[in-house]
Amino acid sequence: MNETAKTPARHSMSLKKRNALVGATFILPNFIGFLIFVLIPVVFSFVLAFMDWDGFNAMTFAGLGNFTEIFKDRVFRQSISKTFIYTVFNVLISAAAALGLAIVLNNKLKGTTFFRSAIFFPYVASVVAVGAVWKAMFMRNGGPLNQFLAFVGVAEEHLPGWLSSSEWALTGVIIVSIWKNMGYFMVIYLAAMQNIPSTLYEASEIDGARKWQQFWRITFPMLIPSHFFVLMMLTINSFKTFDLIFALTEGGPGTATTLLSMYIYNESFVYWHYGTASAAAMILFLIVGTVTVLQFRIEKKFDDFM
Amino acid sequence: MQAKRFMAALVACILVCGLLAGCGGGASSAPAASTPAAGSAPAAGGAEQVTIQVATWDYSSNPSTSNAVALFEKEHPDIKVEVIDIPSADYQTKLSVMLNGGELDAYFIKEASSTLEYYDRGQLLDLSGYIAADGVDMSEYSGTDTPFNIDGKQLGMPVRTDYYVLFYNKDIFDDAGVAYPSNDMTWKEFEDLAMQLSGNGVYGAHFHTWQACVENWAVQDGEHTIMDYETGYDFFKPYYEMVLRLQEAGACQSFGDLQSGSIHYSGAFAAGNVAMLPMGTWYIATIAEAMKNGEANMEAWGVATLPHPDNVPAGYSVGATTPIAITPSSKNQDAAWEFVKFISSEAGALEYAKVGAVPGRLSDEILGQIASLDGMPEGLVDALQVKSIAPDRPIVPNVTEINTMLGQEHSLIMLGELSVDEGLAEMAERAAEIMG
Amino acid sequence: MVQKKNNVARTAQYILLVLLTVITLLPLIWMLSASFKLSTEVFTSPIRWIPETFHWENYIQIWQKVDFGRFTWNSAKLTVLVTIIQLLTCSFAAYGFTKCRFPGRDILFLGYVATIAIPWQTFMLPQYMMMNRMHLVDSHLGYVLLQSFGAFGVFLLRQFFLGIPNELLEAARIDGLSEYGIYFRIVLPLAKPAMATLAIFTFVTIWNDYMGPMIYFNTEANKTIPLGIRMFVGQYSADYQLIMAASVLSLVPVLVMYVFCQKYFVQGVATSGLKG
Repeated sequence: MNETAKTPARHSMSLKKRNALVGATFILPNFIGFLIFVLIPVVFSFVLAFMDWDGFNAMTFAGLGNFTEIFKDRVFRQSISKTFIYTVFNVLISAAAALGLAIVLNNKLKGTTFFRSAIFFPYVASVVAVGAVWKAMFMRNGGPLNQFLAFVGVAEEHLPGWLSSSEWALTGVIIVSIWKNMGYFMVIYLAAMQNIPSTLYEASEIDGARKWQQFWRITFPMLIPSHFFVLMMLTINSFKTFDLIFALTEGGPGTATTLLSMYIYNESFVYWHYGTASAAAMILFLIVGTVTVLQFRIEKKFDDFM
Repeated sequence: MQAKRFMAALVACILVCGLLAGCGGGASSAPAASTPAAGSAPAAGGAEQVTIQVATWDYSSNPSTSNAVALFEKEHPDIKVEVIDIPSADYQTKLSVMLNGGELDAYFIKEASSTLEYYDRGQLLDLSGYIAADGVDMSEYSGTDTPFNIDGKQLGMPVRTDYYVLFYNKDIFDDAGVAYPSNDMTWKEFEDLAMQLSGNGVYGAHFHTWQACVENWAVQDGEHTIMDYETGYDFFKPYYEMVLRLQEAGACQSFGDLQSGSIHYSGAFAAGNVAMLPMGTWYIATIAEAMKNGEANMEAWGVATLPHPDNVPAGYSVGATTPIAITPSSKNQDAAWEFVKFISSEAGALEYAKVGAVPGRLSDEILGQIASLDGMPEGLVDALQVKSIAPDRPIVPNVTEINTMLGQEHSLIMLGELSVDEGLAEMAERAAEIMG
Repeated sequence: MVQKKNNVARTAQYILLVLLTVITLLPLIWMLSASFKLSTEVFTSPIRWIPETFHWENYIQIWQKVDFGRFTWNSAKLTVLVTIIQLLTCSFAAYGFTKCRFPGRDILFLGYVATIAIPWQTFMLPQYMMMNRMHLVDSHLGYVLLQSFGAFGVFLLRQFFLGIPNELLEAARIDGLSEYGIYFRIVLPLAKPAMATLAIFTFVTIWNDYMGPMIYFNTEANKTIPLGIRMFVGQYSADYQLIMAASVLSLVPVLVMYVFCQKYFVQGVATSGLKG
């Protein structure tokens, strides 16, 4: 691959001991707070996965009972596959849109400030309002989206009932999710692009590289830590998407948009089955964990070989 | 250096934001003082003043509870009521968390059917001792108190009760030359009337998207509850078929349109093209408020008793009662009881009736108070008379799960994605799974 | 020659951008328009983009119905505090995770990241019980402590720091700079885009956070804007016009913050000062 993108050799191992100490002082201020306020409760919730608990009475040991219980639940099984579908589409489209927008808006076009702000805008809006707004956008009759579809020639009986049919509801949620979050990930890419030395581009221009080649040879590989971050966050957020679904469909119609997070919410906050909620969260954790470790490995490989 | 400048600039920006917000805060402090929570001034001479924490929802938009609290504080200067106002949609969540932390003295139960869950978790104090000591006559509550009597313990006092009635638009009936709905009408008669009135942009009926607006009519006779899944939910069938027939004939707006257009029943009814709307009595207070503020033109509204199934006489309705309860962990149980006793008493009930809310103590005097409010239709007292109020959801284990499941299947039936038979079969199947 | 081709590309880009922007902003225009309507006019079909009469009083009502001024102040205060603490501690930790080598570093980091994947609902109750025991419930201090040490900020900054060439730090080490010196003099200035990114994200997250304040704040005096907005959603109905008005108002400070930060994360390739 590109010579200039090479990461230099790591510094010498003789600094190991000193670095361990110094590293600790850097990490500790954050870690202490993290340990107390996040990690301990999280570990506790892991324990809960093997307990029966209603949140008030004493807990009792349940072994793997919570896991067998959720796998017997059809809503849970369905939510797993729906979560996967949602995640795949949401992650890929959002990441591609964010990267594309970042590339276009990293150019020194006139009015980029305005365009960037406009694209980022949805991310800032509160979810309660967004839920109501998109219900209006998605209205079956007279909603702008269906008006547009009718305009381009979709017959009236084929107009989708975006949030009000099992067939289209998940698509509707994905659309809103992309709309709301692409600006956020665009910003991450934009920020990372500032770190790419301009000398790389200048050099490749001298070599006569086209814009497209520059993208694949310089921009894309130089953004690998960001790709990792963006894909990671998108995956985790997709698995955890809750607010948006709650505001748009509350998991319906039927259970068409009941994703894993919605299932966990119901189990913990509506029925107070803390054990099964934690067991479901554990499954979620395992899935996301596997994906993370995989991505982490790939990132390491790139890091070593480039 | 640049880092420092950046940090300095960031802090500066943040401070500016803070200041802007702060100015906003300063400007608003005047109107803020008028909100109930901020406005409850400490009572004079409160050397031994006790503060009790009470959880409720929609406090700022519901004058009934805040008026009652104000009156109570006036009569009991030694007790201060600190109301914890929780957003309606998250009431159960937040309440459970607060109960877990042992912070509350008293709380309203939003879903009466969840009473058993609180009881199982030991979060309800038995009030029987207080009731006996103070000689509270439970017969005054005309049965709204019995659901909260579990294992011989009275666990909550009824504050509000809401049941379904039939709202109608007089103009549409006048234009069509049809007599207003009577207080004794079967659902069959209701359907025929709705069909008759429909057409020319008029909808004969309106069913809101809640499953309650179909399934409630099936439990109205008190013979079945939503827990009777062994029957295959066949008792739902006539009502699903009725609503779907009306929907097909264009005699009511379709479920899909209501849902995708976020159409609220109050908007639909106020639009003036809906003839009849079966809805809860809470809507009376909403109309009263809207008319007072001049927001909607509702001169022509009327109320009749809810249509009834063939097997029971008129006056059988369906609804739910909102009780108030005391926590066993409360350190101020006596003061909390004073408040609970007051808000469920005749005086408390009157405060509710004064704004059009139906209190748990149903009496002709109370109903008369509601009917005497500005803008209330004629014959309201008669229309509000009930012989029985079947609970929309019984107080039994797993009722929350079953209810959620029914809501999911309901939308599938109403959208036509499942036939009535398929939907009911799936309901029964899933209910059996939930009950294990 | 190249110019002509560039012009075509440029025009195409503009058309695409304008289209995208219009699509993106359409829902927000609806929001603005709804904030001037009567509650019965909010959902009409077809959509009326310009209200028949502008009901400015919606913007007054939100201050009367709830204590919006105090909520705004609280939101601002909490957001600012959490943002500052996050920036400081997260950048510190991220530097430790990226540029200092010590055994178990990557495992520890994975542990950090893993917690991001756990939905808050599942550990909310244990966390609450703990906070309750520490008497930190219904207090702003408790909330700030709760929100300031998430793994997200560390993760975000670490990914940015990875992009800083190690030879730059190595050169500084040879020049005799301590790790702290390197952090303050070299990494932080280079990390401006990343810090600005984290600042805006933390700002938005805390500003719009609903569940945290909902669970942790009881008294009116402690509540924040998102809680105020939810107060317009009642048991049987919702005042959408007020929700929209409050949402429009609550957008303003975040946009100010965004515009301010934007200059740091998009300062242009040429001035990034990284010449390898």
